[in-house]
Amino acid sequence: MDAIALRGVTKQFGDVTAVDGLDLAVPEGEVFGFLGPNGAGKSTTINMLLDFVRPTSGEIQVLGRDAQRESVAVRQRTGVLPEGFDCYSRLTGRTHVEFAMESKGVDGDPVELLERTGIADAADRKAGGYSKGMRQRLALAMALVGRPQLLILDEPSSGLDPSGAKEMREIVRAEAERGTTVFFSSHVLGQVEAVCDRVGILRGGSIVAEDSMDGLRDAVGGGERLVVDVTDDAATVDLSAVRALSGVTSAEAVDGEVVVSCDADAKTAVVGAVEDGGATVENFRTEEASLEDLFLAYTEGDEPREVRQ
Amino acid sequence: MTWTVVARKEFEDTIRSRWLIGLSVLFALLVGAAVYVTSLIFGSGGSTLSSTEVLRAFPIKDGIVTTLIPLVALVAAYNAVVGERESGSLKLLLALPHSRADVVAGKVAGRGAALAVAVVAGFLLPALVFVFSSTFAFEAVAYVQYVFLVALLAAAFVAVGVGVSAAVSSDRLAIAAAVGVYLVFVALLGAVQGSLGLFATFVGWPEWMPLTVQQTTRVLRLVNPTGAFKIVTNRALGTGLFTGPDVRLQISGLVMLVAWVVIPPLAGLIRFEEMDL
Repeated sequence: MDAIALRGVTKQFGDVTAVDGLDLAVPEGEVFGFLGPNGAGKSTTINMLLDFVRPTSGEIQVLGRDAQRESVAVRQRTGVLPEGFDCYSRLTGRTHVEFAMESKGVDGDPVELLERTGIADAADRKAGGYSKGMRQRLALAMALVGRPQLLILDEPSSGLDPSGAKEMREIVRAEAERGTTVFFSSHVLGQVEAVCDRVGILRGGSIVAEDSMDGLRDAVGGGERLVVDVTDDAATVDLSAVRALSGVTSAEAVDGEVVVSCDADAKTAVVGAVEDGGATVENFRTEEASLEDLFLAYTEGDEPREVRQ
Repeated sequence: MTWTVVARKEFEDTIRSRWLIGLSVLFALLVGAAVYVTSLIFGSGGSTLSSTEVLRAFPIKDGIVTTLIPLVALVAAYNAVVGERESGSLKLLLALPHSRADVVAGKVAGRGAALAVAVVAGFLLPALVFVFSSTFAFEAVAYVQYVFLVALLAAAFVAVGVGVSAAVSSDRLAIAAAVGVYLVFVALLGAVQGSLGLFATFVGWPEWMPLTVQQTTRVLRLVNPTGAFKIVTNRALGTGLFTGPDVRLQISGLVMLVAWVVIPPLAGLIRFEEMDL
């Protein structure tokens, strides 16, 4: 069964379309990274999963239940780390977690959860004095209350230092091993890369790419790029022969250079084919192509659409 | 239904609010001072003064309670929901399995209870003075009834404040609405009642009005929570609650106070249910 299923979901705020005909399915037990630049519609989508925001059209099911009509039942079995939240400044960290436990009707030791998220020593201080990172850790502790079947984390690393972000990933991994479905959003690929089974990249309110991490790595093309410096303008070089070579994923003229994504053992053939195309090769070098490049290619195109989050 | 969990959190949060603590202390000091002044004025000559007579004296009944209690209650309630929306703590609250109805009901109950504690605290010191001083006779039944009714008045204004807070989309709108509610119920309706009486006496009550001037004034008193409160407490501090020729009016007053606790939050909830957070 799918833990999260969206079918044709659109959300309009006035005349601004924040989410545009979104289809998405996250199977149970998966760690899904929901990626996209700020303003792509990630938070709006998450807010619709939680019934904070109602879709203009489309259908949303979470844990097999209607996200709108059965929202309380959904949230009973879901742990949420919202984005842009605040704590109750007059209440202590312990009181916050106790409140989450009472709300979900579960027993337990609040300090145990605060220990897991690393703020047990501040348990009896008022949350008004917490730093942004500590508030984030407090909200994560509240999200973990009652061993949720689904964790929804909206930009969980924001406000955390690198070691805090690492601890966050470790908690996500531990929860995933327990069988929890994890759905988390980020505008930085690096934060989800290490823990995700699959990612979806959102832009302008629609999914522009959806793949497993392995699939994305394959798409990058063996992880290497060959940059060939030619004496003439690279744009005049005929690259069809290069593209025809086995092991070559793509070949483009970029800023006067020929950039080829290919397997490592195809390099010699590529250089030969570029010369056959009518160019004089001056120099060439290999560059490590990363998932980040791929992510940026998806998210930083020419026509960024204005979208309210 | 998890509104009791929300109510308990609200109570703990509100009782720690500096505004509420400050205004409650002010309230307690004013009640204490009024008791003292009243006893100086009426208590001379060695005769004992009953606690009911002191409460019935103008400074407490009309000067302090019906002006300050609505103010404290509205201050405690106007940002109950919209304040949490603007700060973002509402997301933390609604990430947990509460319905929006649970949130509104919990807010009314929790903040109403916090106000009740403040009211009881405000009347506690005078009660001790009444009990232990030989100048006073403590009439416990009327006193407890009165304190309960003051707490009910506070709950009515908390409910109005929470209802407004759930219905509006910004803090500023909530403040404006709360100020409006205060002016209408504490000042304006009373002034209208007074001028209707003058109008009827000096100009004459128009024939075409379906209600007589007495009936109109009575309706205005009843629909106003402070008016309904006065109807009920005048008897509670007089011949006794539910005695006298106007028993039905007293019951109507009590019902109106309860209606003010229930209806505004429901109306606010209808708007709140439709909103995107």
